[in-house]
Order: sequence, then structure tokens, then C-alpha cells
Amino acid sequence: MPLKAMIAARKSIPVPKHLPNFHGQTVTVMGDGGHNMNVFGFWMPEWKKAGINLKAIEVPFADVYSKEKAEFIAGTSAVDLVVFYPAYIGDFASNGYLLPLDSYIKKDNPHLNDVITAFRKLYLGWAGHTYALPEDGDVHIFIYRKDLLNNPAEQKAFKAKYHKKLTVPKTWGDYLRVGQFFTRRAGQKLAGKTLTRPFYGCAEYGQRGFSWAWFADRWASSGQVYFDRNMKPEIDSPQAIAALRNMVAAVKTCSPPDVLNFGYDQLRDSLLKKQTFMVVQWTDVPKKGADSSQSEVAGKLGYALLPGTMVGGKLITRSMMPVGRVLAITKNSKHADAAYFMAKYISDTVSRFNVSTPLDGLDPYRYSQLKPQYYKEFKPADARSYLATVKGVLEHGFPEIYIPGAAQYEDALDLAVNKAISGQEDPAKALHDAANAWNDITDKLDRKHQTELWRNALKQYKSVGLIK
Amino acid sequence: MATTRRQGTGTAAGRGPAALVARLPRPHRTSAPLFAWLMVLPTVVVLLAVTIYPLIYSLRESFYRIELSFSPIPHWVGLQNYVDAFTHDPRFWPAMGRSFYLVGLGVAIELILGFALALVLNRLGRARTVVTALLLVPVMIAPVAVAIEGVVIFNNSWGPLDYLLAQIGVHGPVWLGDRSVALNSILLADVWQWTPFVAIIIAAGLRTLPEEQYEAAAVDGAGRWQLFRTMTLPLLQPLIIVTVLIRAMDIFKTFDTIYVMTGGGPGSATETASFYTYLQGLQFFSFGYAAAISYIQLIVITVVATLLVRRMRKGLG
Repeated sequence: MPLKAMIAARKSIPVPKHLPNFHGQTVTVMGDGGHNMNVFGFWMPEWKKAGINLKAIEVPFADVYSKEKAEFIAGTSAVDLVVFYPAYIGDFASNGYLLPLDSYIKKDNPHLNDVITAFRKLYLGWAGHTYALPEDGDVHIFIYRKDLLNNPAEQKAFKAKYHKKLTVPKTWGDYLRVGQFFTRRAGQKLAGKTLTRPFYGCAEYGQRGFSWAWFADRWASSGQVYFDRNMKPEIDSPQAIAALRNMVAAVKTCSPPDVLNFGYDQLRDSLLKKQTFMVVQWTDVPKKGADSSQSEVAGKLGYALLPGTMVGGKLITRSMMPVGRVLAITKNSKHADAAYFMAKYISDTVSRFNVSTPLDGLDPYRYSQLKPQYYKEFKPADARSYLATVKGVLEHGFPEIYIPGAAQYEDALDLAVNKAISGQEDPAKALHDAANAWNDITDKLDRKHQTELWRNALKQYKSVGLIK
Repeated sequence: MATTRRQGTGTAAGRGPAALVARLPRPHRTSAPLFAWLMVLPTVVVLLAVTIYPLIYSLRESFYRIELSFSPIPHWVGLQNYVDAFTHDPRFWPAMGRSFYLVGLGVAIELILGFALALVLNRLGRARTVVTALLLVPVMIAPVAVAIEGVVIFNNSWGPLDYLLAQIGVHGPVWLGDRSVALNSILLADVWQWTPFVAIIIAAGLRTLPEEQYEAAAVDGAGRWQLFRTMTLPLLQPLIIVTVLIRAMDIFKTFDTIYVMTGGGPGSATETASFYTYLQGLQFFSFGYAAAISYIQLIVITVVATLLVRRMRKGLG
């Protein structure tokens, strides 16, 4: 997106009259490229007025950890401000790569008490210190075509086929049923119109990298968590195998044929370009779905909690909280004051704009951001429904693995999920292999220390209500 | 050496390169070895810094356990990383297998197509220059750009390849999302990019072959196939061996295309040895283990290349 367009997009927000002056310091920012870096472009006039020259280093979405880690290991002062996914905060902070922000926070308050509890407790700190400010609060949400769900012809056909009312899927079993019902070939009818191309009931994130999170949405609703207290993996339990079988069935029976090549973009577009009926996605997708310049289904989307699993007669639903973004200052930064000014400005001062515009992929992370009037792309009723659902999925959030080695654990699980959904291995064998790989990683990294860190992480998860 | 040069000067009678060298001032000639060393010194220094030192450093690293996601302190483990690669790693050897699949099939296809293209190229006359320039275009494109093109071309929903196939009534496979097809799609991208390179090298070789010998053989009654098998192939042998070696080593190292097009998936279908090494080294920061599996690859590829060259010399000769 051109810089001029970014600056024009925020024109309703004037540049403050009084800003500190950093006398021409150059602040180098490193983060994942694409629409999420737009946030640094929106506020370019402010940086200029504050005497800051911005140098942005954009790295691929899946390479944030490796590129930033390599920079940290090299020990240069080439980067001042890093944007990263908070699952790595344990690694980055415990290895001493980041500057503690406690003293800065005392001087210039970023209002962290306004940050949604789960994000505040998981994203920002390590060993009693605050190392980062939030920029993006990620959690999964269920999005579906409400125009199709409410269509009388579809309602009637579903009732005739399954002898029950067509509703938003409550369980992962319902999800499959509804997905299969809406899967149609070209030439068949959908909501009374003849299709010129196939239509699919659902789609998944099938690419290597994050497919594990779509499995975890299903599995976590069984009430289990990655490891038990003694670091024994729980990912090959019967519940986990059943969850993976459900995902395999979704891929095979109601997803587009090339779904194993679907990442964030393809999954988003499959919904917004009228290819699928429902998806689980990050909470920024509804913003884009409501923007008619990006979406063919503006005003036609409904939002709901993710389907769940019946446990002891009670429906349990969980929403993965993969990725998220925080801003932190590198230990060796020579422009830490200017970097903190930028981080605080983005994270706090102008955060409402950042999370409500459809021009980036940032999601709400502050209680004060959850007000319908900020989300101007939506119709008022849709904005209310969207924000109510965001609050709901956050209450049922399920965290990533917040201990060192997260990248390795997640890769091993992702490989297993990907092998299963591609038909390379049976779900039971794939998950059993992943559990073995997790044990190897734990042994390699030092089982005693990892167990200790995991127990602390469990305590934190429990304290914010993410683990019941 | 100086004596020889002086003798040469006499016989050259003041003409030719030897005479020019002899006319150089005496002090320059006596200090030539030192001067020569000074001239090559920068290259030696650069080679030592960017090739030899990293090679020795990484060999040393391969005997340590270095887990930078956990601690910057290395621990001496001797040959344990190598033992782990052979006995304990379920991903490494299948990844090696995929690398060799790419090398074997890729080199064979590129060589056959390249040879055919070279034969056509050499019959084009004046159009040859233009066609050669066009053939160079894919070779000049960065592999990452080829991979991005590949993602677009192989897209099943809106990619041009599926569209064109549909026009002739063919339903294309799921190019990048089907585990039995994805590695071949990577191969297809590589063949598209590098076959012209093979063709241009072989076409250049074909133009150097002595026409008189062909004419003589033809007069003796040799057919086209005989000429090709008994003359063209043996005469081009050194060129073919070099081309095969360059392509084999290059395909073995393929990374960019896989990274962009499939990320190693679906499942582990396109996780090759070089991609897996990248994961170990630059995603998991297990530097010691990554160094060990790199050395295993180096040894394996050296042995295979040596055997291949011997076999080809025997076969073509």
C-alpha cells in the first residue's frame, strides 16, 4: 500500500500539536511484512514531527522468529524496535535480547490496565518484568454466510435431509454436517441460483506452518492442554486423535480441493470471494469482510463462537490464540527512547484506529477498543454482533505454548497435522510421532528446566482463565 | 625458469610473447613470485574468510550441542549429532530421499530436453541468436520469483494452467496441495527454469564438434543414430559431465522454490534435505545438529557425484 494512501486513511485523526523531539534519530523496525506493517505508515507525519526517521525491515510472516533471533544472536544494534509473536517472549526475554520496559512505563503510561487480561498476562511479561507493549490481539472466530444460513430454500432442504433445523454449528460434528450440506458442484443450485463453479461448505488453514492451530481449536475443546504437569505430551490422547479425524474429514469432504495450499490469504479469500460457506479465522477477517472494496460478501457475514465438544453433557468451546503481535525494544538499541515513543503511540494513543481499520490485520486487544462506533465499515448491528463475538471467543481463548522451544514444538505438531490431513499418515500415528518428537525436544532442551517453565506457564494460563 | 625464458627469447628472435617477457626489466622478473603471491592474496584472504573458515567452524560446531532457543552455551557431544542423524531422526533420511528424487529426475529430464532443444537451436540459422536470448530469460530470473510465479500458475482456483487444461477438457491435479503431485510441481518449476541453461551449454558444445569427422563417418555409411551415439556423445562427454554435476549440485540445494511454493508440505511431501537443514538451523536454532546434517549431505553428495562421473565416463566413452 503506498505511503500516501496510508497517511490519507488516517486523516480524520490530526497530528498532535505537542510531541517530543528526537532530533533526527533513525529508528529501525523489524516485523512481518504486508498489511500489518501499514501501522507504521499511518503515523508517518507523527514520526516526522517528532524528529524520527523510520527504517522498516519487513520479513516473511513465518520467519519473524528466525530473522529476529538471528539479529539478536549477532548482537548488532541494527534494529531498535521489534514486532514479534508473543509465543517467543520467553525465548527472547529469558536470553536477554530485550530491554525491560518497567521504567519507561512508569514515565509514560501505556495504560496496560486497559489491555484485555489474557493478552496483558501472556503477551507482555517474563519473570516479573514487562518487556513488550501489545499491538495485535489474535484469537480465532467463527465466520459464516448468514444470507445462506437464513435462506428459506436451504433451511427447507436441510430439514428434509437431516430432520433438524439448519443453525450455526454448535459442535464439530455439526460443523461437518453443515459443511457437507453446503458443498455443491457447479451446475447445482445454492440459495435458488445455479452455480457456475463449485461451492464448498468449509475450508481450513491447510498449509504447513499454522495448520496445527486449526486442529487445536477442535482438540482444546475436549479440555486438554499441550502437556501435563510433568511435561508428558497430551497431543496423542484419544480426544486429540478424534479431533484430528474431524479435521481430516472436513478437508476431505467439504473443503476446496487445493485447501492444503491455503494459508491466511487463501482462507480469507475463499470466504470473501464466495467460494465457501464458513471458516474459522483470525478476528481481523470480519473487518475485511465488511469492506466492500475487499469483499464480495459485505453485510452477508455472521459471527459466532467456534463449534465445541460435549464433555460430561456440557458444550465446551475453545478458540486458539495463535500469533498476536507485540512491540519490544532491543537490548542494544541506541535509540530506545524514540523506539518507546513509537511503541507507546501505536499500542496506546492511536490503537483504536489501528484495530478498527480494514487496511491492516490488527485485532482488538484493549477493553476500550470494543465499541461498535469505532468499526465504521460494519453496519451498526453487525459491529455489535462482531464485538460481542470477539468478547466471547476471548473468554474461551486457548493459548499457544509460551515456553522456550515453542517454534520446535509447534513445528512438530504442525507436521503431524499436515501429514494427517494430506493422507500421508493416519491421525493416530501422526500424533503419536509428534508426541515422541515433543519428548525428544524436551530432553534436548533440558527436561528439568522445561518442566519448571511449563508449570509456571500453566499457572499463568490458569490465572487468566484460559485453562479451566 | 629465467634461463628457459632467455633461451626462448633467442629462438623467438625478438618476436612473440616470450620475447616480450624477456624484455621486462630484470628486477621485476626476479620478484615475480612475490608479486604473484601479492596479486592472489586478496582472493586467498576472501576464500579463507568466506569458505575455509566457515567450513572448519561449522565442522567444529557439528561436535557440539548448540540450542540457541534455550541457551547460548555450547556443550561438547562428540559424534552424537551424527549418531542422532543416523539412528534417531525420522525426518532426515526421508528428506534426503526426496532430494535425490529431485536430483535424479530433474537432471535426467533437463539433460534430455536440453539436448533436444540444443539440436533444434543449432538448426535455426540466423534466428538462433534471438531464440538463445529468449531462452536465457528463465535462467536470469531469481528462483524466488520463479516460485512466486509457480504459486500463481499452479493455483487450482484461478491459475492459468488449470484454466488452459480445462479448455482442452483436462482436469488438472491439485498441483501444490496433493502430496503425490507437489514434489513434481517443484520439479516442473525447476525444469522450466534450468532446461534452457543445459540447452545453451550443449548447443555451444555442438558447435565446436569437427564437421570433417562427421562427413567422413557419413561417407562410411554411418546413420544419424550411430553418429550421435558413437561420435556426438563421446565428444561432448566432458561438457555433459560438467553440466550434470552443476545441475545435480544445484538441484540438491533447492530451497527457495520449496520455501515459497509449499513450505515443505503437504505433510512432509516436499521437505527435502536442504529445507530440513534450514528448519534445524534457522527455525529451531539447533546449530550443532544442523551443521552435522550439512556435513552428512556434503559427504553423501561428494560420493554420489564421484560415482556418477565415473559411471558417465564409462558409459559415454
